[in-house]
Formats: sequence, C-alpha cells, structure tokens
Amino acid sequence: MKHIKKAMLAVLVLFAAAFAGCGGSPEAINQEASTSAIRAAQEVGASEVPSASLYLQLAEEELEKAKVLAANGNKEQAESMLLRAQADAELAIILSHGDADKTEATAALERVKTLRQDNN
Amino acid sequence: MKLIKYLLIVAYVGVLVSCSASAPPKELNNARQAYQQASMGQAAKLVPAELHKAQVALAVAEQSFKDDPDSYKTKDLAYVADRKSKMAEGLAHSAAEKAATEKANNDFQATQTEILKDTKEDLAASEKDAMLKAEKLASEKKARLDAEAALAKLAAVKEEERGLVITLSGSVLFASDKSVLLPAAQDRLNQVSEALLAAKERKLTVEGHTDSQGTSNYNQQLSLDRANAVRSYIISRGYPSDLIYAQGIGEDRPVADNNSAEGRANNRRVEIVIDRTGK
Repeated sequence: MKHIKKAMLAVLVLFAAAFAGCGGSPEAINQEASTSAIRAAQEVGASEVPSASLYLQLAEEELEKAKVLAANGNKEQAESMLLRAQADAELAIILSHGDADKTEATAALERVKTLRQDNN
Repeated sequence: MKLIKYLLIVAYVGVLVSCSASAPPKELNNARQAYQQASMGQAAKLVPAELHKAQVALAVAEQSFKDDPDSYKTKDLAYVADRKSKMAEGLAHSAAEKAATEKANNDFQATQTEILKDTKEDLAASEKDAMLKAEKLASEKKARLDAEAALAKLAAVKEEERGLVITLSGSVLFASDKSVLLPAAQDRLNQVSEALLAAKERKLTVEGHTDSQGTSNYNQQLSLDRANAVRSYIISRGYPSDLIYAQGIGEDRPVADNNSAEGRANNRRVEIVIDRTGK
C-alpha cells in the first residue's frame, strides 16, 4: 500500500512539472554575448555618435524582445533574436570607432595644413 | 461543373500560396543589397576577411531561405548577414581613415623635418653673414685706426666734435703770401694722402687759416686758395673728389696770439677735418 502511495505521489509530481513546462515558464537563454556587446557599445559612446546610436537602440530593443520570448518559453526564437541584438551592438561599436577615426584623420590633415601655412 | 470550378479555385489558391512562399523576406533583400554595396566598395581591398564573413553569413541566410523560407530563423539570419556587410563597410571606412591619418602624420613629420632643415640653413647663413659683417667692420676699424696712427706721426691730430682734425703748418706747405705748394710740402702731403686713402669713405673738409696780417678779405681769399691747392693735391693722389671740400676761414679762427711771431706762425695753417659720420 505504501508503495502504491509513493508511486502515485511521484506521478503527481511529474504531472505537475510537465504542466508547469507547458504553461510557458521562463527558459534560460545565453545573453552574455549580446549583453557584452551592448555594454561595449555604450562604453565607446555609441549613443553620442549619430550613425551608431540607432543600432545601439535596436540592439537594446532586441535584447528586451529576446527576454520576452524566453519568458514565454520560445527559447530558440529568443536565441535567434539575441543574434540580431549582438550584430546591431557590434555594428554600433564599429561605427563609433569609425567616427573617432574620421575625427582623428581630419585633425591630422588640419595639423599638416596649419604647419604648412605657418611656414610659408 | 461545380467540381471543375472548385478545382480551379483550389489550383489558383495553390499558385498564390506557392508564389508568396518563395518571395524572399525584406531582411534577405536588404542583406543581398548590403553585401553587393560592401563588395563594390573599399571593403574587398581593405578588409577582405570581414567581407568574407559577410559573404558566409549571407550564404547561411540564403540556405535557410531555401530550407524554410518563412521562418523567423531565416529572417534573423538575413538580418545578421545585412549587419555583417555593414560592419565590413564600416571597418573599410575606418581602415581608410587610419591610412589617411598615418599619411598625414608622416607628412607632418616630413614637413617639420624640412622646416627644421631650412631654419638651420637660414641660421647658418645669418651667422655667416653676421660674421662677415663683423669681420668687415673690424677690418674697417683697424684701417681707420692705422690711418689715424699714421697721420699722428705726420701732423698734429686731435679729436674734436666736428671730427678728427689734422693740422698742417702753413709754413711747411706754402711760401709767404703764396698759395702754391712747396716741393717739400708735396712729400708731406703724399704721406698724409696715403693715410687718408686707407679710409677713403670719409668726408673730408680742407680748411685754410691765416694770421691777422693784411686785410680780412685778402686773408679770406688766400686761405681759400690754399685750401683748394691742398684739396686738388689730395684728389690727385686718388681721393674721391665728391668727398672732399675746400673752405677758406681766413683770420677768423686763430689758435694763438697774432701779436707774436710764433703765434702768427701757428695761426697760418691748413686743417683737414675727417668727418666721423662717413659719406
């Protein structure tokens, strides 16, 4: 009799677990790569660079979408969305660096021009 | 009849469904366009590895489109491929800007080196010029001092406000009441001229002076004639005529008492004034 009770309890636990899974409980997704990329984009000042700020914003929105998808149990779709977030954040970083490179090149050319003007 | 109509509708819907399923999503169109743009720009030359990554990402998206055209996965992979192409393009721009910066920095360095070289050359030329000028000035000063020393041996020489004054005794130069140079005077004037020629850029004034015997007008004329005689002689020895002037002072500026024979002898004289200021 005891054995039967134990078996029934185990079956109940399993059912409960299965029921909870079907109800869309949050699933763990690996957001590390996209989160790191977004943080890096923020640190290089992407939000202050006109050409990069849009992509940073998209990346942040996509990260939030991925979290919602994961919370609804759509793990695969969430992970796919994270790829978008990571790509946008990486693009924001590259465009921010590009802006800095352009500024540096302009300054270097100006220095040469000034030097030549001052010595003519 | 109804059956035929039904079959036609089913076939039409089937065609529509198959057409809509094969149309690529906008993400894939964007990705194709982005890759084309990147591959036609500087990326192929400057960042070929990044362009290759974009190409691979696009190929993965295309394969996913073939396998599962409408899936979120296809759209996300195409989206990522689009970004990879944009990254390649962005990195190519950065590489071009970095190359421009490096070139500008090299130009700056080269220009600075050139300016430094020119400045050193200018400085060296200035120093050489200054040295030559200093040498010339020293040489001129030495010539003048030598001339003055030589003159001091030949006649009385004194420094006055109007210049250096060489006084030659009238009795050495002229016979009494005459304005023609004595033969002995010519030797003395030769020596004086030689000394003067050592510094012949100076303006000279030859002044004739007499004692107070005779009329003032006569003495004035006699002193002028004597000054002119000395002037002509010095010119004949090579002194520039436009730098030497003659002036008759007469009896107006005695240096001694006209009441004694010795005083009158001292008053009869010719003075050569060397201007200190040059031409």
